[in-house]
Amino acid sequence: MTLEEKLKILADSAKYDASCSSSGSNRKNTGGIGNTAYSGICHSFASDGRCISLLKILMTNCCIFDCKYCINRKSNNVTRAIFTPEEICLITMNFYRRNYIEGLFLSSGIIKNPDYTMELLIKTIKMLRSKYHFHGYIHCKAIPGASTKLLKELGSLADRLSANIELPTEAGLKLLAPNKSSNKATEIMSYVKENRKRDFVPAGQSTQMIIGATKETDLDILSKSSSLYESYGLKRVFYSAYIPINKDKLLPSIITPPLVRENRLYQADWLLRFYGFKVPDLLDEEHPNFNILMDPKANWALRHLNEFPKEINKASYYDLLKVPGIGIKSAQRIIACRTNFKITFEDLKKLGVVLKRAKYFITCNGRYFINSEYFKKSFIEANLILEDHAKEETRKEQLSLFS
Amino acid sequence: MSTYLYDGTFPNLLNLITKLINHNIKPMDIKPKDNFEPTLLDEGITLELDDAFRVKDLKIPNPVIKTCYYVFLSSDKNKELIIYYFLLNEKKYQNKIFYMRNLKCVNSALKLAKQVSNETHKLKGFVRFKEINNHILYSTINPTSDCLHLLSIHFAKRLKQEYWIIKDERRNKYSIYDKKRYYIVSGENLSLKEMIDTKEESKIENLWLTFFKTIGIKERENKRCQMNFMPKKYWHNMLEMREEYEKSNNRRKII
Repeated sequence: MTLEEKLKILADSAKYDASCSSSGSNRKNTGGIGNTAYSGICHSFASDGRCISLLKILMTNCCIFDCKYCINRKSNNVTRAIFTPEEICLITMNFYRRNYIEGLFLSSGIIKNPDYTMELLIKTIKMLRSKYHFHGYIHCKAIPGASTKLLKELGSLADRLSANIELPTEAGLKLLAPNKSSNKATEIMSYVKENRKRDFVPAGQSTQMIIGATKETDLDILSKSSSLYESYGLKRVFYSAYIPINKDKLLPSIITPPLVRENRLYQADWLLRFYGFKVPDLLDEEHPNFNILMDPKANWALRHLNEFPKEINKASYYDLLKVPGIGIKSAQRIIACRTNFKITFEDLKKLGVVLKRAKYFITCNGRYFINSEYFKKSFIEANLILEDHAKEETRKEQLSLFS
Repeated sequence: MSTYLYDGTFPNLLNLITKLINHNIKPMDIKPKDNFEPTLLDEGITLELDDAFRVKDLKIPNPVIKTCYYVFLSSDKNKELIIYYFLLNEKKYQNKIFYMRNLKCVNSALKLAKQVSNETHKLKGFVRFKEINNHILYSTINPTSDCLHLLSIHFAKRLKQEYWIIKDERRNKYSIYDKKRYYIVSGENLSLKEMIDTKEESKIENLWLTFFKTIGIKERENKRCQMNFMPKKYWHNMLEMREEYEKSNNRRKII
């Protein structure tokens, strides 16, 4: 098998991992090659619009597990390959020198047992760091069930570690991934959280959940993420819309991945982490799933219209953040600017506010953007949906021009 | 009122603007003298400037100077005037200047500075080197703003122990790094020998193309999203997009 064929197989099996971020680390170039940028850098974008920042590959797609949703499950008849540590170093170094990538994302199927797999991962990364003096970004999968000693060694070499939770509930795991248990993943997470410092997993840890392979509601999923953020200080929880690769009577029969649902979950994830929202604000037993037609923040605002309109020149930072169309940056700018001058609708555009969403929910110096009689749920809801619809239409027109 | 001229460099521009502000002169325009065409009404004025002027002696906070420099690197045709009014207002509002977004000059300056820093950030990822004679890394870019200097700072740290050259094709200038420091030189004073790819090069390029094609998920294809993040103007210089670039060019020719 040529190196190119191997790369094809092992990139193909790694592509379903959602994470590709290269942020959060400040590694310096201390004689050798490479450093990391705290903000992370995207080097290219794949045909699905996802960023390519790291060389995302599996060390091997051989696996002793038989998880129903996974392309590399034991019972699948796919061509198997394995990279040697030298081969991984060769590709990483050559790609990095040419500025194709920001670093390496190394994951692996489980061969023989977790410890053996982890030892091979460590051997590769150690070679990269000490023999090739590579100081670029390394994201590595920690293998659940491997010994703490190995986890410690891996963490001191990598910038970010991740262990996938895979499915939001234990029941889901039992059904589709009988060899896995969420305990093993959370054991890794708590170890990393306890020991994280400048030379141990400086960029923190992340995890991933598959969306739509089992029956969980958005409420189940979001509650899980929220507890993961709180208990383990995760940097990110990634959501990955289930893509039907395998046929199995336990898997849902869908044709297209639930991409809009995935998008709504990411939007809600941001609301949890940066906007001061809590899960019960967004979803409850009566509404356990997000509205596909409208983003979670606008949806929330319409249900709590009695808290609006907010006065731009007086509202607190967290109140501003609750307004659809106002983000972190624009809220900060409003706070900083309004001590110097009275902000008008005209100024808001300059401050980066998305006025066509925000205007329904705010007043500037006591004035609503049109006659205040129109401040009604029916009027606002219709306008917001129309607005999104019009955007979708022009997008479709433009697309048909391209193809 | 008429147009004041400077020599096209950033220190000289600041030198001129300082003098204009100190003497209370309101310029109609400020332009580099090389691309200024005198007219009957406006011959252009070159002032006698202080030779000992140094940017770091100015009593202006660093973030303000940095913003001015980024505006200077942008391709906006009024950038000199924007910097003038930005600095004029800085005298009045001092460190509050960044929050005076209702002023047109402040808003334009911050917007342009942001554009330059965004483009630089994108190019930190989009620059593609190839290995030529004696393991030199060589790359060509065509950026809208003049970010060669900012990129050089980045790559001097990252590829510290490599020889590399980045060519800005649009402005015909090169940044050349010799493992110690980088030199930015105009293409007019430089002749490069014929460049030959090293023999490994096409093998590595093919590996990258294979990886790039494989990593996209077919069921999630979204070319529009790809183009949003990676605008077409960069495709020509990016190995993995060149084929797509030529395809779309051919299509345009047929239409």
